[in-house]
Amino acid sequence: MFNLLPSVPQLLFVLFGAMALGCAVAMVAQRNPLYSAISLVGVFVSLACLYLTLQAPFIAAIQVIVYAGAIMVLVVFVIMLLNVEEEVRRPLRLTYLIPVGVLLAAVLVGEAAFMLSLGSSAPTPAQTTSGSDVGLTASIGTGMFTKYLLPFEVTSVLILMALVGAITLARQGRTPLFAAPGNVDEEPAVLTAGGDVAIKPGDTAATGRAYAREQIRSGDAAAPSTSAGEEER
Amino acid sequence: MDWLSNQIGADWARALAQFVGINVGFVVVLMIVAYTVLAERRVLGFIQGRLGPNRVGPGGMFQPFADLLKFIFKEEITPSASTRFVYFLAPIIAITAALMPIIVYPFGPEVWLPFLGTFPLVIARFDIALLYVLGITSVGVYGVALAGWSSNSKYSLMGGLRAASQMISYELSLGLSLVGVVLMSGTLNLYDIVVQQGGGGGVLNWNIWSFWKAGTCPQIIGFITYLISAIAETNRVPFDLPEAETELVAGFHTEYSALKFALFFMAEYVNMFTVSMLATTLFLGGWQGPFVDVFPWIGIVWFLLKVVFFLFLYIWLRGTLPRFRFDQLMNFGWKFLLPVAIINVILTATVLYFRWS
Repeated sequence: MFNLLPSVPQLLFVLFGAMALGCAVAMVAQRNPLYSAISLVGVFVSLACLYLTLQAPFIAAIQVIVYAGAIMVLVVFVIMLLNVEEEVRRPLRLTYLIPVGVLLAAVLVGEAAFMLSLGSSAPTPAQTTSGSDVGLTASIGTGMFTKYLLPFEVTSVLILMALVGAITLARQGRTPLFAAPGNVDEEPAVLTAGGDVAIKPGDTAATGRAYAREQIRSGDAAAPSTSAGEEER
Repeated sequence: MDWLSNQIGADWARALAQFVGINVGFVVVLMIVAYTVLAERRVLGFIQGRLGPNRVGPGGMFQPFADLLKFIFKEEITPSASTRFVYFLAPIIAITAALMPIIVYPFGPEVWLPFLGTFPLVIARFDIALLYVLGITSVGVYGVALAGWSSNSKYSLMGGLRAASQMISYELSLGLSLVGVVLMSGTLNLYDIVVQQGGGGGVLNWNIWSFWKAGTCPQIIGFITYLISAIAETNRVPFDLPEAETELVAGFHTEYSALKFALFFMAEYVNMFTVSMLATTLFLGGWQGPFVDVFPWIGIVWFLLKVVFFLFLYIWLRGTLPRFRFDQLMNFGWKFLLPVAIINVILTATVLYFRWS
């Protein structure tokens, strides 16, 4: 039954499966957050290779472009800029969760064993070979713009909402850009003893407006104009 | 080939052939890259009214090998406060991500060789070649970003952050400028895209100005946006802010020396070569040219000629243009290049819709 050489898909599966597992373990076990992030990139790349062996090239490419190329770059950026320290090992809290974890792991292993015991009678993804067009770029595109058009559009609106929300949250502390004429004359300034406006992370828009007014009064910021976005130049 | 298949099975024979092909491809590309460096120094010398390196061998022909020897024998310096593992990993990522895309570019039509039979002149031919290229390119950002961070030097960090943000920003317009061609071709397979640019009409069938063939729309806007974002993507003049020597010493590779610096250096030139190949393949008809039907091997010559044109353009720009300021660079990328690329996509889709119906 066994030849001298394993088949090429078998070898690739073992290679990238081991790589994915190793990187996943490293990601959890590392104490340096940057090493964890790099390990996660390794997981994504080896998962993409596994998708390739399962005849799903489009998913593989998207996995690399979106997860490894875009999302993880942002994560790495944040880790770099915040200069996150190595984690210190702490005594384990939540010890009562250990038996739950063991139980869940046992269920997972049992499930895998059950699937394996079904043997070759159960269809495995690897058997969907060149005959099927599942996972090809054309079939995914057709499905996305015909059958699943509504979910696709709703998802894009959801992402747009997240974008707008992120911008709103990020802009709250920096009110001078918001200092439209209507805003400036509303609430009284919150002044510290020294006469400066106290502004800290987590302050509300009201303090921001007060800060803006103070800046405009002292000449540090330009007076608000009617057209928004003009001060960017 | 048949004999090998009988010995170890068809799968393994193909894998072995691909392995050999990939390695030959890497060696050839690295040789071309070495001579691109020499050409750059000589052409820059010509532009600036001096000679350039011409002492080693006839006309400086052996200069790349002298440079390589020097790189190998230089002292390897590791900054004492660097993050050791990442510091060694970064150049490896950079050169790997630079070399991986070269396997998908078709450099000639189907040819015939004794013992091997008929085969197309491309190392790997698969459905998602274009997405593969974009994916590997996006992973290349880690090389520069991690290099800048792990060196533990302010110049390196600033250079790495600049390079990474620049590459992420221009990746968008780079990808969008290719969408027009993909809409026209209806495939992501680079070999098929080149085949579609052939046939009667010759040069007029190239995607950049193809209008006379059915179902096409000239991609001049796409070509120009691609060219600009490709130059920015490879961090070359006039977009070489990441290594602006007047402010950042040498940017993300300030702390790198000897062979590790050589890897970054090679990665930059390999990247130049691959984006030139992509421009040739998608917009200028790849290996298409006169006499390809009669004598297929001449496709390689046409392909290399077009690629060399782009490499020369790179060098020419470097000898001519001054450097951007960083805010200008970002404004240009996000507020001009990206909208223009999107307009090109909409325009192409509209034209194709009316030409098809």
